[in-house]
Amino acid sequence: MALMRPSLRPSATLQTPHIHQQVRHATLLKRPKRPYTFTQLITLSDGSTFLHRTTSPAPIYKSTKDTKNNPLWNPSSQKLLNVEEDEAGRLKRFRARFGRGFDVESLEEGEEAREGEESVPRERQEESLLDMISSVGQEAEKKGKAAGKREEAKKSGKGKGGQK
Amino acid sequence: MALQEVTSAFIKRMQSTQTPLKQAWKLQCLRTYATDPMQKELGELEESVHQATPTDAAGKRLSQYDPTQNAKQRKEQLPPSRYQFRSPRFYRGPLHPHQPLKSSDPASREFVPGPFTLPRLQQTYESTIAPDLMTLTYQHYPPGFERPQKGERLREWVGDSPYFKNRPRRGPRGYDVLPLLRKPITFRNVPKLERVTVHTMLKGAADDSAYLHVAGMVVQNITNVRVQTHAVRKSVASFGLRAGKHVSVTSELYGENMYHFLSKVIDVVMPKIKDYKGVKGSSGDSSGHISFGFKPEEVALFPEVEVNYDMYPPKMIPGLHVTVHTSATTDYDARMLLQAIGVPFYGKMVD
Repeated sequence: MALMRPSLRPSATLQTPHIHQQVRHATLLKRPKRPYTFTQLITLSDGSTFLHRTTSPAPIYKSTKDTKNNPLWNPSSQKLLNVEEDEAGRLKRFRARFGRGFDVESLEEGEEAREGEESVPRERQEESLLDMISSVGQEAEKKGKAAGKREEAKKSGKGKGGQK
Repeated sequence: MALQEVTSAFIKRMQSTQTPLKQAWKLQCLRTYATDPMQKELGELEESVHQATPTDAAGKRLSQYDPTQNAKQRKEQLPPSRYQFRSPRFYRGPLHPHQPLKSSDPASREFVPGPFTLPRLQQTYESTIAPDLMTLTYQHYPPGFERPQKGERLREWVGDSPYFKNRPRRGPRGYDVLPLLRKPITFRNVPKLERVTVHTMLKGAADDSAYLHVAGMVVQNITNVRVQTHAVRKSVASFGLRAGKHVSVTSELYGENMYHFLSKVIDVVMPKIKDYKGVKGSSGDSSGHISFGFKPEEVALFPEVEVNYDMYPPKMIPGLHVTVHTSATTDYDARMLLQAIGVPFYGKMVD
């Protein structure tokens, strides 16, 4: 930290004690300036909190969108994939009134998925697990594996964007 | 004569031992004469003092301890306070007798106190990420395994020419930069974050310095570090740059500031960006430094900018380049570290 201080640079000769060159000028040693910082409590959307130092004077920062409710960071969460902004329940009421049979079904399914995230068929789950196991041994394909994993995550992100 | 002197000195010391606290500051002066021939007699005396039980002695001292009384009874003034070195305001070269202190010394003018917090990201790194990375990158070698010898990276000059003798070696074939070697990762060299550079270059700053001021404020507020401006070195007519004009702003984050900044970026800012895909997989300079960027509208999502967004002229809010310097020597390791921290990557991974 202290090594890179700009005001230290002119005195770089200090570090090489063997070469003594007389310097006829004087370099001002500036006091380092640092902005004033406050301690801020960040509250994430799931209620978890942490403290950090920041220049912002607000004591609490509440975030509505963060890693806890973003599908890009939670690729396996069914709940986040089917997220539908229906805070007042207007869409639900509309469906109950004018919806066809399939609409009502999809609604129920979605709610089931929301309670316990086990709506993924069992076979698929096993498949994914097997995938993981088989890829562990392949050292040569390490890099390819990492790439593949990420692309999945990206797909899920896309799906979310499409719903908006 | 000599005998008299000795006895008088002895009596003096007896007195001083009886009322040790009244003249404690004098006693300190006496201590400098510890090499006197009196030492033997004193030694006996001190033994007798120590024979009393320590609790007794402590109680006695406590009852005697009355600083205000001592101060009143004192006839002469106390000696002036200790000499304190004052770090000079100017550095006048290595031959000057009055040299500045090191910046690590609290009396130095360049001293920066801290760290004051133990950031969450740092704790996570030390407790879980570092051991995980070490396990992931572990390569087992059976006992007795010898690594195959590789050829020299720099080639010798082979030929009959007498000038080849002692000539510096040739560069590698095909390229002129030696890539960093990847050493096997042990508990000593687990990749870690070293520093973060936040950089922004402002096109309009050449004409209007207001861009520079706004960008400086934004970057300082976001990073908690005072910014540095940079001047153009060479004129480039096609970009409209003239040498000597200040057009860019950087701030270097180390330690505490770096961890706070990164955790803020990852936990709060990145998820808020609309349709954010992540950091491009091809990012990196193939020696463990990975960079990504934020557009002006994304910079406005930082909590520090958000809190008083009206302060900044909306058209002057800059975009940012963030470079994360890790101690990893390959992009693959650096990316693994960043992924563990929570940075998403997309696209083709290039190592």
